[in-house]
Amino acid sequence: MGIVIAVISGKGGVGKTTATANLGLGIAMNNKKCVVVDFDIGQRNLDMILGLENRVVYDMVQVMDGEANLKQALIKSKANENLHFLAASQTKDKSVLESQKVEKLVAELKENFDFVILDAPAGIESGYEHTIEFADAAIVIVNPEVSSIRDADRAIGILDSKSAKVKAGDDVAKYLIINRIVADMVESGEMLKSDDILEILNIKLLGKVPEDKGVIDASNQGKPVVLDKKSIAGQAYSRISDRLCGQKVDMKDIEVSDSGLFKRITGIFK
Amino acid sequence: MKSKQYSIKVFETTIEDELQFIDFFDNNYMLFKDHLIVIEGDFPDRIREYLEKKNLKYLHNVILPKGRTRKALEVELKAQNADAEISAQIVQQELHKLENQLQNNLTVLDEMIRSGRELNIKGDLLLLNRVNSGATIKTSGNLIITKVVEGAIRCKGNFMMLTASPKANIVFHDVEVDNSLLEDRLNRVELKNNEIIITPVLKKEINWAL
Repeated sequence: MGIVIAVISGKGGVGKTTATANLGLGIAMNNKKCVVVDFDIGQRNLDMILGLENRVVYDMVQVMDGEANLKQALIKSKANENLHFLAASQTKDKSVLESQKVEKLVAELKENFDFVILDAPAGIESGYEHTIEFADAAIVIVNPEVSSIRDADRAIGILDSKSAKVKAGDDVAKYLIINRIVADMVESGEMLKSDDILEILNIKLLGKVPEDKGVIDASNQGKPVVLDKKSIAGQAYSRISDRLCGQKVDMKDIEVSDSGLFKRITGIFK
Repeated sequence: MKSKQYSIKVFETTIEDELQFIDFFDNNYMLFKDHLIVIEGDFPDRIREYLEKKNLKYLHNVILPKGRTRKALEVELKAQNADAEISAQIVQQELHKLENQLQNNLTVLDEMIRSGRELNIKGDLLLLNRVNSGATIKTSGNLIITKVVEGAIRCKGNFMMLTASPKANIVFHDVEVDNSLLEDRLNRVELKNNEIIITPVLKKEINWAL
C-alpha cells in the first residue's frame, strides 16, 4: 500500500509539473516504485517533461471509463524503470472527472506503487478538487512572490475543506517546496524570505529549490533536471526526494549566495 | 346537603321620601311583586311594615353578586392575556439588554484564516492566529486578533484590538481605519463621538500567542 501525494500550487507556472517529474524520478532513483499521474486534463505537459510524449497510447480518462486497463496505459520511464507515468487526456476537459472513478483509479494505483504522485492543474476548479480529494498528503509549490503565496494559501484552504481524509476527521499532511529562489534577490530584500512564506502558509517545509536556467533546457529535452548531478536545482530535487523516502537530509541554505565573501575576495585579485 | 339554585330579579333602591316610596310601590306593585327588594341606606320602620304587609321580600344593605354575560367575560379575559403578554415582552427585552451587556457570545478561534475564507461572527471574536491576504472577518461584536492581519476586517462592535497590520483593509463601523496608525503591538480601536480613536495598549517586548 503506497502513499498518494498531490502536487498543488493554486497559481500556474510556478513549477508544479517540473517538480512532479523531478520528485517522481528522484523517488524512483531511491529504488521505490513510483507513478506520476497528470491530472491536468486538456492541458497535459508532464509527458513532455518526462520525455514520454511519443509513447502515450491510452490516457487516464480511458482507464477510468474502462476503455483500457491500467497496465496498458502505464508508461515506464526511459530514465528509471521504477518510474511509471499515466497521461492526462488532451482531447477532453476537466468535466469528465467524477469522484467515484477518480477514487477507484487512485485506489488501484495505491495498491501497485509505493508512491503515487498526482500533478494537479493550476487553479482551484473541479479538476483541482478531484486531484486532492483522495490524496493522503499534498506538496505545495510556491515561488517567493506574493501572488503565488496567496493562491497557494487559497488552495490549502480548499484542500483542508474538500479532502476526503479531512471529511473523515483526519488531517492531510501538507509540505511546502519553495521553488525558483534567487539568493541575491532574497539577500537584497527583493524576494520574500522563506521564513516569511512559512509564517504565512504555516505548513512544514520540505525543501527549497534555487532558480536554475538548466531546468528549461532539461524540460525541453524531456530529461528532468534531477538527472543532472551538477545542476543546483537537480541537487535540490534530489535532496527533497531523499527526504520523501525517509532519509534524513540536512536543509541546505540556498538563500545565501555564493557570490558572497569568497567571490568578493577573489574579485580583488582579478 | 340539599341545595337549589335560583335566578331572581332584584330591585335595588334607596329611600329618600317614605310617602313617595309607598306611592311608587302602590302604583307598580304588579311589576315588583316577584322582585327581591334591596334597600340601601336608611330603612325606616314604616317602610318595613309596608313591605311586610304587601308580602314583598326585602334585604337591607347587602352587596349582591353581579352577573356578567359570557361576552363581557371573554373580553375581560382577553384584556388580561394581552396585559400578561406585554409584560412578558418587556421582561424579555430587559433580559436581552442585560445579556448583551454581560456576554456578547464570545467565539474563540485558534486557526489560520486562509485566503478565500469569510468568517461571519455574531457577537465577539477572539482570534489567536493570522488572517491571510484574501480572507475576510466580519463581526457584529468586538474583535480581538493577536497576530498580523493581511485580509479584510469588518467590525461593528464597541472596540477592536489589533497588532500592526500594514496590509490589512480594516473597516470599523463603515469607516476605513488608517492602518499606518497601528503600532507594532496591540492597539485598541474604538469609536468615541463619531471619531475613531487608536490607542496602543501593550509594550513591544510582550510576545503574543506563540
